[in-house]
Amino acid sequence: MSNTQNKSNLNGDVHIHKNTDSNSIDKKEDDRPEFETNLANTLLHNFGEKIKIDFIKKNRIKVNVQKENIVEIAKFISLNMKFDHAEAVTGIDYPEQNEIEVVYHLGSYEDNLSNQILALSTSAIREDDPTPGSDRTKLPSLRNVFYSVEFHERECFEMLGVYFENHPDNRRLLLPEDWADIPPLRKDFKIKGR
Amino acid sequence: MSELPPGIKLEKEDDKIMTLNVGPQHPGSGHMRIIVKIDGDYIVSCDPDPGYVHRGEEKMAEYRNYITNIPHLERPVIHDSCNILYPYCLGVEEILGLEVPERAKYIRVIASELNRCVYTLYWLAIYGIFLGHSTMFMWPTGDRELLIDLLEKLSGARVTHAYFIPGGVRNDMPANFEDVCIRQINYFEKRIKQYDSIFYSNPILKSRTIKTGVLAQQDAISLGATGSVLRASGVDFDVRKKEPYDVYDNLDFQSNTLKSGDSYARSKIPWLDMLESCRIIRNALEKIPKSGSVRVKLKPNPKAGNVETYKRVESGRGSLGMYIISNGKPEPYRVKISVGSFRNLICLPYLLKGEKLGNMPAVYWSLNYWPVEADR
Amino acid sequence: MSIIAPRFRLGYFIKSLLDNVFWIIILLTLIGIPAIQVVLFFIDLPVIEGELLTPFLALTWLADPSRTLPIIKALMQTDFFKIAVFPGFGFAALLAAGTIFIERKLLAKLQLRVGPFYCGKLEGILQLMGDGLKLISKEIIIPAKADKPIFWAAPLLFVGAAAAFISLIPVSPGWVIADLDVGLLAFFAIIGFFPIITVLASWSANSKFPFIGGIRALHQMVSFEIPLILSLLGIVILTGTLNLSEIVESQSNFPWIIFMPIGAIVFFIAMLAELERIPFDLPEAESEIVAGWLTEFSGMMYGLVQLGSYLKLYAFAAIFVVLFLGGWNGPMIMPQFPQEIITEGIELGPISVTIPGLPLFTPEMINGTFWFTIKTIGVIFFILIPRGVFPRIRIDLLLHIGWYKLIGLAFVNIFISLSLLYSGVLGPGGMM
Repeated sequence: MSNTQNKSNLNGDVHIHKNTDSNSIDKKEDDRPEFETNLANTLLHNFGEKIKIDFIKKNRIKVNVQKENIVEIAKFISLNMKFDHAEAVTGIDYPEQNEIEVVYHLGSYEDNLSNQILALSTSAIREDDPTPGSDRTKLPSLRNVFYSVEFHERECFEMLGVYFENHPDNRRLLLPEDWADIPPLRKDFKIKGR
Repeated sequence: MSELPPGIKLEKEDDKIMTLNVGPQHPGSGHMRIIVKIDGDYIVSCDPDPGYVHRGEEKMAEYRNYITNIPHLERPVIHDSCNILYPYCLGVEEILGLEVPERAKYIRVIASELNRCVYTLYWLAIYGIFLGHSTMFMWPTGDRELLIDLLEKLSGARVTHAYFIPGGVRNDMPANFEDVCIRQINYFEKRIKQYDSIFYSNPILKSRTIKTGVLAQQDAISLGATGSVLRASGVDFDVRKKEPYDVYDNLDFQSNTLKSGDSYARSKIPWLDMLESCRIIRNALEKIPKSGSVRVKLKPNPKAGNVETYKRVESGRGSLGMYIISNGKPEPYRVKISVGSFRNLICLPYLLKGEKLGNMPAVYWSLNYWPVEADR
Repeated sequence: MSIIAPRFRLGYFIKSLLDNVFWIIILLTLIGIPAIQVVLFFIDLPVIEGELLTPFLALTWLADPSRTLPIIKALMQTDFFKIAVFPGFGFAALLAAGTIFIERKLLAKLQLRVGPFYCGKLEGILQLMGDGLKLISKEIIIPAKADKPIFWAAPLLFVGAAAAFISLIPVSPGWVIADLDVGLLAFFAIIGFFPIITVLASWSANSKFPFIGGIRALHQMVSFEIPLILSLLGIVILTGTLNLSEIVESQSNFPWIIFMPIGAIVFFIAMLAELERIPFDLPEAESEIVAGWLTEFSGMMYGLVQLGSYLKLYAFAAIFVVLFLGGWNGPMIMPQFPQEIITEGIELGPISVTIPGLPLFTPEMINGTFWFTIKTIGVIFFILIPRGVFPRIRIDLLLHIGWYKLIGLAFVNIFISLSLLYSGVLGPGGMM
């Protein structure tokens, strides 16, 4: 962190990436970008079997972990790899696989990492008849690791019914207090007329 | 009383502490409720309660195909509609494998910078009126018309442009746009420089905002603040610089950073950004290819494979990301909009604790917060 | 499709009008005229030109303008006229209405707008009347848990206190409602009422935002009353009187602002705070506490508070003029009336009646009123200007200004006046 403090000032040196083809996709396995591969290898080296690399693209890495290990891995990412904040926490409902995937998009304000996004994904068991908070759809909260996920996790709780254990403030955020339907971002919640 | 559901808490409160419901029908809250507990004139705790204008944009996006998603995805922040469509278009281009023509990239940059100024002026107007400065409400709202006229020339609509589409922009610039744009931008720059004398140099404004709601650099990072809030705290992070999209790496500009991290710095960064935007627009108008197509031909109902993408741009309120997951159908499987307003909201309870009630508008609106965008 | 009056016929309409006229005539003759006669029986009628003004005489004189004139002159000397029309409520309300209109237009020009524009063809001059009509026609909503008698009384008390203020102001020589020997003390007494009324209004509303606003108003008014009073002591020391008319007369050569600029500045700032004008409009800070202590007022109750606050604005500006800017004193620009107008009268009207003694006011009075009005408008202008330039200040900064800076400056002002007095430059032993 102190590193950032020194480097970021008004006239701080800004390195510009001369990559105009940032939109193109790296399809082949062998032209995977080097820097991102190194980052992923750091994770693989430390945790081995516990994590599964989904993809490595330019500036983007996605790793998949079990929910039992996520706090430990998040702590490692936060402390050793200097990813210091969460940009988004996305819940995705997969009724066929009977699971709800939660993706943490972690970013960093370090100079060399600031173009990287590390997507840390895990999944919770999905219940067909949800009662948010008291069913098995539970995940450990990352709020003690990344302070910035507090509101994101609250939103994920109300929108998909994923209860985050050890979250200090698991209340509704966006939905009205008297919302009595199932969590609206689940796939079995249908919009009228569609 | 039976057991309470996990979302609800009961607490015994001291009689001294008064709970104020600031909003949503309150002139100082925007479309949001802030539950403020005050002890005398000091704020004991603050609990932002967004969601008054939640429209379920993410849910709606799952029911429409990639093209028909455009007009409604810009709704969360209609003053900055180009910037909120930008990451969506970048993402869809990635998953569909589209190559954007060079001229369209420059037009996008011009439009999004104009739009950033339009948004910032609107926000500045509200910031002014919430500090009781009625002239600062009227001047930016008036000057905003200049840029809205430009955008109307460009896209045909005053606010909800729906101008960006995957693979370019909807239509080319009109014939005399460059001259008009340069002229208006020159006047506009002269005009916003006057804000310094009436607003930013105002002694009462300084006494109210300097050293008010200070967000230290360390806290700004760990709270995950973004945009002007982050840069006012001394962290130099601008997506346009750090992860340049389209042609931002060819353009000559700098990202503005201040160190104090107080309300004053947070309100000044967007103003500095507007001056920088003028520079970018001039620069882009010099470098733009004089002719060429502005869009690629799209299939009527394009489908993508099983891919996902996370794209982010720098909007008026900070980094704005879109996470698009495709499962091979014409509609996206999931669209997540990660907006700067929502990410900066977490700073509010942190900053307001222990402040005076009179500082609430100064701190709250300096977060560059747009309730409608945070609710989506 | 909606039809307002499906069975409308002109005959019915005319019949209803005639019905109304019929009943009005019946009721007037049976009740109205006896009532007037009963009232006239008890009223002391004035003696004009040696004749007692009986109703009969008054009615006959109405036909002859030259004989009506003494009645008007006698009426103008009554207290009722002074209170209701000229130096009192009517004049003040007119100036207050002008103030509101000028404020809106001035602020609009400052902010690149047009302001009121359509109502009344000429630059929206009737906008204020439209707003007033709207306020009157609005429903008055009282909060369910409010203390209703006090809540109802508060706007009336506010207007009443503001109107009491106006009675102290000498507009031109002799034209003052209450020419008290302790005029300045009465002024301090009246401004002491406003915080009480404000707190009563806010507390009786039984709502949170008015309560906070009322407490803020109390803090602000009480802490700014002290520099307000102290800043005027210098004038009392030098003139040796508390009578406002005498204070004006003492400034016939020079206004006190020349010797006491510090006092004038302190008074002006304290005045802004007392009036709750921007930058000191904390009690009504809409972005923090909705509308402060005015939150629960609706309809004409709000209108009355607004009227009261603009009357108060006029009164404070007038007091500033009286104390620091020399009141009605000014160069004589009004020419003397030709003698024959007063003695022989002027030809008037198509039938050409000669009316002697027509000028109702003396030239001195018109001149004094002119200068007083000009100066007051100037001061009001300076009160309005900060609204376009300044944001709102915070309560702790405000109290800091009041208690630390303004009181100190007010004492400096007192020392200046004392040194002027004891060095013999001014005051009872000096130039006066």
